[in-house]
Amino acid sequence: MAVGNKPDLVITRVFDAPRSLVFAAWTDSKHLAQWWGPRDFTNARCEVDARPGGIIRIDMCGPDGTIYPMTGTFDEIVEPERIVMTNVAIADDAGNPLLEVRNTITFVEANGKTALTMTAHVIKATPEAAFALDGMEEGWKQTLERLADFVKTG
Amino acid sequence: MIKSVIAAPQVTLLMRTLSDPTRRAIYERIITAREATVVALTQHAGVSQPAVSQHLKALQDAKLVSGRRDGRNTFYHATAQGLAPLTRWLQHYEQYWMQSFDRLDDYLTELQRGKKKRGRRK
Repeated sequence: MAVGNKPDLVITRVFDAPRSLVFAAWTDSKHLAQWWGPRDFTNARCEVDARPGGIIRIDMCGPDGTIYPMTGTFDEIVEPERIVMTNVAIADDAGNPLLEVRNTITFVEANGKTALTMTAHVIKATPEAAFALDGMEEGWKQTLERLADFVKTG
Repeated sequence: MIKSVIAAPQVTLLMRTLSDPTRRAIYERIITAREATVVALTQHAGVSQPAVSQHLKALQDAKLVSGRRDGRNTFYHATAQGLAPLTRWLQHYEQYWMQSFDRLDDYLTELQRGKKKRGRRK
């Protein structure tokens, strides 16, 4: 997990649909509510203000009825080709972000299909998150190795 | 598995637990020493023994450390899977998106067939 220019996650997916529709699926709450979240989740609340500075807020509802709120802010909206948003990936009990992820979603149309690429960068939010991320990249690796050794021999 | 992505309380707890430099140092010391008592840890911690005990309790609550009682002493050691939720987090994040994109794929297909129905389930 890197904090910097190198993306932490890149996912590309081709959808058999025109770009305008795929783009709308991200910016229209009516559409978003239908697909956002893991399998078997529904979205009890879905608010999208798709413009720079606008808020996205989705309350995902798990199979057991637990609500998992997701919030974010749109940094860029370039219809129909690019969306940049910052999502709160992990928050503390009071809802303060501990970890934020900047997701850049690009839409490229070819032959009536749309290639979507999502690039995620983990960005620092708080000292806690900064520690966890820096740690994972550097010191934690060693710590984990030591731990692995310990588990093996101990 | 996916649940732990979104239900990140373990990750939150780990982050919060390890955000304290003194506590982190105690945790690392336990890993290095393999096993350590409160007394031994206090010698290096630069804080009082009750303070070390508090940190140990926090580490135990986060399941990073567990204690083995031997006579009057408790020997603390690092648990094998303690940090795993933290290190697995990004994998979970990927899964979360992959599943969302599966659903988006289905939804787009459905939209184009003009068979949109509310409350469908997969």
